[in-house]
Amino acid sequence: MSALGDTREAGGWAAGRAVAWLRARGDQIIVLVVLIAIWQVLSMMLGVYWVSSPWGVLQRFVTGIAGGDLLVQASYTFTEAIIGFLIGAIPAALLPFLLRRWPMAVAILDPVMVGGYGAPKLALAPLFILWFGIGIESKVALVAITVFFIVYFSALAGVRALDHKLVQMAQVLGANEHHVARHIVFPGAVPYIFTGLRIAMPYSIGGAVIAELISANRGLGYLVQLGAMNFDTTGIFTALAMTTCIVFIGNWSVDALERRLLRWRPVSDQKLQAEA
Amino acid sequence: MSTQDAALDLAEAAPVRWRRYGVLIGRVLLIALLLVLWKVGADIAGPLYAADPIKVFQRTVADVQSGTLLRHIYVTLRLSLIGFALACVAGVVLPFVLRRMPRLTAAVEPYIMASVGIPKYALIPLFILYFGIDDAPKLWLIGLLVFYPIFIAVFAGIRNVDRRLINMARVVGAGEFVIAREVIWNSLLPFFFAALKIALPRAISAAIIGEFLVGNEGLGFLIENSRQNFDTVGVFEGIAVATALVLVINALLVALDRRVNAWRPVERHMQL
Amino acid sequence: MNAPLLEVRDLAKRFVGRAGRDQPLWVIKDLTFSVADGEFLTIIGPSGAGKTTLLNMIAQIDVANGGEVIFQSQPAPISDPKALDPGLHCRIGYVTQEDNLLPWRTTLQNVLFPLEVQGRLNDETRKHADMLIRAVGLAGFENHYPHELSGGMRKRASLIRTLVYDPPVILMDEPFGALDAQTRTQLQEDLLRLWNLGRKTIVFVTHDIAEAIALGDRTLVLSRAPAKIAGEHVITIPRPRDIRGIMMHPDFAELYQRIRAQVQ
Repeated sequence: MSALGDTREAGGWAAGRAVAWLRARGDQIIVLVVLIAIWQVLSMMLGVYWVSSPWGVLQRFVTGIAGGDLLVQASYTFTEAIIGFLIGAIPAALLPFLLRRWPMAVAILDPVMVGGYGAPKLALAPLFILWFGIGIESKVALVAITVFFIVYFSALAGVRALDHKLVQMAQVLGANEHHVARHIVFPGAVPYIFTGLRIAMPYSIGGAVIAELISANRGLGYLVQLGAMNFDTTGIFTALAMTTCIVFIGNWSVDALERRLLRWRPVSDQKLQAEA
Repeated sequence: MSTQDAALDLAEAAPVRWRRYGVLIGRVLLIALLLVLWKVGADIAGPLYAADPIKVFQRTVADVQSGTLLRHIYVTLRLSLIGFALACVAGVVLPFVLRRMPRLTAAVEPYIMASVGIPKYALIPLFILYFGIDDAPKLWLIGLLVFYPIFIAVFAGIRNVDRRLINMARVVGAGEFVIAREVIWNSLLPFFFAALKIALPRAISAAIIGEFLVGNEGLGFLIENSRQNFDTVGVFEGIAVATALVLVINALLVALDRRVNAWRPVERHMQL
Repeated sequence: MNAPLLEVRDLAKRFVGRAGRDQPLWVIKDLTFSVADGEFLTIIGPSGAGKTTLLNMIAQIDVANGGEVIFQSQPAPISDPKALDPGLHCRIGYVTQEDNLLPWRTTLQNVLFPLEVQGRLNDETRKHADMLIRAVGLAGFENHYPHELSGGMRKRASLIRTLVYDPPVILMDEPFGALDAQTRTQLQEDLLRLWNLGRKTIVFVTHDIAEAIALGDRTLVLSRAPAKIAGEHVITIPRPRDIRGIMMHPDFAELYQRIRAQVQ
């Protein structure tokens, strides 16, 4: 086949893929339009009382941000989630490292950890409200305990996944225990810890919101309850939209941090992690 | 074998046995220690903040005898299982239906994935508004929380089916329905079970939290109502029973998984 | 003649059978040889003869079930798992079969790793590392991560990582085994060139008879399990060696035949 024929064939194949991609995007936009249209129709059929109109929600959302109130409430929820996240994640990530040299301790601890992981932590919400009141502390506590067990098991998997060949190599080169922990165990475990962080992130925001639903006077969960009590569905939808936004922001932050710290990963591993 | 060999063998085996007993004893001691700490903590913190474990135990026994605890458990379990069953059916059937419509699937997929980001629990007040204050809002909540992991798992499982098996089945003349039942379903069973282990405990959690906000029965009601009455013993009782319930169900699921998927290693830990 | 730098006497290693069902297998028994200072010793053995195990024991990664390893006239504690000192205080370098580069460090960071760990990182050692990187043709790849390098490049990085801190003895476990013929020849030449600069003592294990002859001053042949030294051959081909043309040398064919007969 002539050179010209080759390029034309290759070009045709590439063009085919581009067309397929465009077609998929087009379909998705159509679906989006259809969804919003259905929403609008429902709103008109059932009345704004039951289903607020897309436009109404958008308006309230924008004024909420511009006026600042929505952002302020969002910041309360976000703060509860972040603080709880850090308080839960940091000890959970460190514990497997500290216990690395004592596998017996890890084994002894295991039933307690598995029990804690499996127990419905959200059921503790009323207890924490009892202990800490309806302020920020009860929400932080709930988020922290939820995040702790998730990150613990991920970090444990990361420490267990240690490649002993690398440890031996480092020892031959003269590394002591401290070097091994810092240069071999820890970097190797970081990808696993990030899996745990990624899973825990939505739980942290969800936990904060749930605690707010039960009892609070600030935050997005509170706004949702307020909207429900005042039969203000627009308020509910706006708060929900905002909550979804901060979940996305949270996920994006963890992903961005992970991409920055894990540049060394082979690309196929990165893709697998992203899909996990 | 020579005596030297025998001695070497013994030297290598001894630490392992020792370790196993040590772990068992350690675990028992740890549980005992936690119970002691609980008692001490309760004494220090006072009856308002922490319930004495002995009192919690007594109350649990009394409630079992009077039947109220069993009623609460029944209510919560029934709710969870109904919601679970409904969502499970939807979560399993939908991917099979979508499988035959790849263009629709590609168009809808990003929105489904985006909707995963909406915290479902935040929808409870909306559900209460729409569906009243009976079981319905709770069922919707449970349904949503169960639907997503099942749907995603079955969907991914179907995608991952070995095409060659499907082709082989077509070659020997199997119709679409038979292919779905024989090849696809069996291939995705492990994925499905992994999702089950996530979804069933979630269903119970969802029922409990729904009961925090709505209704007058169930473990969640027990916990929250006790809190509002400053009945700390009741709060602890509810939490303890709820935890035990979830752990038992998870153990049952692990055992079931082991039987059904005997050829695959079982993930012992619960996944979220 | 000085005392040999490294001596191995009656070394023995066994693998325990599973759960006491199989008989324990003596992988190495009565293995004795010595290495002189500045010598390039090659060891040939069929796969599974315990070559890696032997090097592991000398490097003190694995415990021995009998015999002695004497380094610089001092016996090393090889039978006590708790007393093992991998690398014998950085005096025994070990280039393993897998490159074992740290995936989260760049090439340069990997090469500098032993210096960091030994507290010897300074301008002079950094310059030495740069020189080695250039010597094996990795210039320009200092800031690449291992997954961005080819197999041959990773091998080179792993090689100079050991060379950078100058241990008196270097053990090498089939370092070029997984590479294609071209890269292998290139690396063999690089290795000999670098060895010439410092005349280190090298113990190089391989299953390739031609490689053993091309590189070594002396070649030992390992028998099958339980492995011991089946034969010793002095390589009479003078240095500097021409790797690409080694097979043309008059002594090559006879050496090859003799060694091959013993390997069977």
